[in-house]
Amino acid sequence: MEVDREDGRSQNQLRPLACSRNILHRAHGSASWSQGDTKVLAAVYGPKAGTKKNENPEKACIEVIWKPKTGQIGKPEKEYEMILKRTLESVCILTVNPNTTTSIIVQVVNDDGALLPSAINAACMALVDAGIPMKHLAVAICCCVAKSGYVILDPTKLEEQKMKAFAYLVFPNSVHSVLPEGSLRVEGEPIENGIITSVTHGMMSVDDYFYCLERGRAASVKLSDFLRRNLQQQSTDSSKAG
Amino acid sequence: MEGRLANSWRLTVNDKNFIKTALLSEIRIDGRKPFEFRKISIKFGREDGSSEVQLGQTRVMGMVTAQLVQPYRDRPKEGILSIFTEFSPMADPSFEPGRPGELAVELGRIVDRGLRESRAVDTESLCILAGKFVWAIRIDLHILDNGGNLVDAANIAALAALLTFRRPECSLGGEDGQEVIVHPPEIREPLPLTVHHLPIAISFGFFSNESILVIDPTHNEEAVMGGRMTTTVNANGDICAIQKSGGEGVPRRVIMQCLQLATSKAASITKQIKDAVEVFNTERALRKIKRHPTSTGNDVREKQN
Repeated sequence: MEVDREDGRSQNQLRPLACSRNILHRAHGSASWSQGDTKVLAAVYGPKAGTKKNENPEKACIEVIWKPKTGQIGKPEKEYEMILKRTLESVCILTVNPNTTTSIIVQVVNDDGALLPSAINAACMALVDAGIPMKHLAVAICCCVAKSGYVILDPTKLEEQKMKAFAYLVFPNSVHSVLPEGSLRVEGEPIENGIITSVTHGMMSVDDYFYCLERGRAASVKLSDFLRRNLQQQSTDSSKAG
Repeated sequence: MEGRLANSWRLTVNDKNFIKTALLSEIRIDGRKPFEFRKISIKFGREDGSSEVQLGQTRVMGMVTAQLVQPYRDRPKEGILSIFTEFSPMADPSFEPGRPGELAVELGRIVDRGLRESRAVDTESLCILAGKFVWAIRIDLHILDNGGNLVDAANIAALAALLTFRRPECSLGGEDGQEVIVHPPEIREPLPLTVHHLPIAISFGFFSNESILVIDPTHNEEAVMGGRMTTTVNANGDICAIQKSGGEGVPRRVIMQCLQLATSKAASITKQIKDAVEVFNTERALRKIKRHPTSTGNDVREKQN
């Protein structure tokens, strides 16, 4: 089944990715992530002393601030902050620096579809740039289901609005290990088969959802490769002292 | 790592003394001369009205949007211009999210005064139907990185965004000519704003020794200086605004010297902004030409097998 998308991509083709780290001078870690025309800037400050009131002082705490491009901060922004916070809490090793707060500030520069996945990817890269200890990276992707049943990856804003339903999926990054038997397993399955976060909008059938997961997981392998290349290239950064 | 755990940043006494002593011999810690501006780089986003300005280590993003609203009752034939400043917590560890603090409000007011009261943006051309519909232009300034001298960078970002912004064209229609029809950008080309002149803000820092004056202070110098003054001038030599709020007193001849310096710097900065806008407009025109082969209603459709 052939599908024509406005920008000429195929069903499973992602938009061109671009990522640069260490772009801000005051922030401890910063990254800019763009998928096609969607561009997000993330900055990390931390760890700072003390945790917020209702947080557990025996663990590190993560605080997310989402800044939209224009306008007041409303409920959608608060929802994004909560999703980001929970996703990143499961990715970071919280027991290393107890009773500290790490703040992640996300600034939307341009929104052309798949905003939340771009923000999650940007936030992960910023955390790497800041040197916050993490178990693995979170790789986020957006899948849409159309009325006629086919699934496309990484939609633009127009495509997102026309689709019946879409899902934001976050997977752990794919693992390249020297000993395949020694790679991390959770209950017998390799760790990359897990899902960290899934947010859906609209109604889709169960089969469609599982198909999205499959496509999303395949795309996350490609995204992981991109991240690996990007991080290895820029690994000659000077250390950030205060 | 210890420096990170503290939430506030303070300059040590040694650093402060070093900066002051170096200035006595006209040396600044980043190697500039006292009357030298840092390198300005102006970039634009994909859409109209979005700019990103980098002044040395300071980074500011400007966004311009427009909406049709009812005009103020005492000015029924004029459009509305409003400026919102956001000191994003990513710019500085001491910036808190939430309500803008006094620095943010002061910055917003300086940029606003430069644009509004000098009539740089023509608000009468924003009126569509007197008393009923006018365009309200909203400028959002996001401070992304605080490397010192936020006012100047924010001002340049606001000007760059205003010069590249385009508002949709609209016409009057309906039975009695009282309805406004807004044409989408694909049907009719959106229009740029009328900007008569570019008010450029230039900031100066004064140090405890009266004759020491620097232009474009970095945030280390801002922590040491005794007073600051921002002058908003344009390339024609008109003074649009001067802001000196507190700090040490300076003699009259120093103020005159500042104004002369500001006028000469304003000319070069105006040229830089105009050149950057030219480049963006050329690119935009090229993009429009390339868009035509694929822009005719390509809905997502499937080929029947």
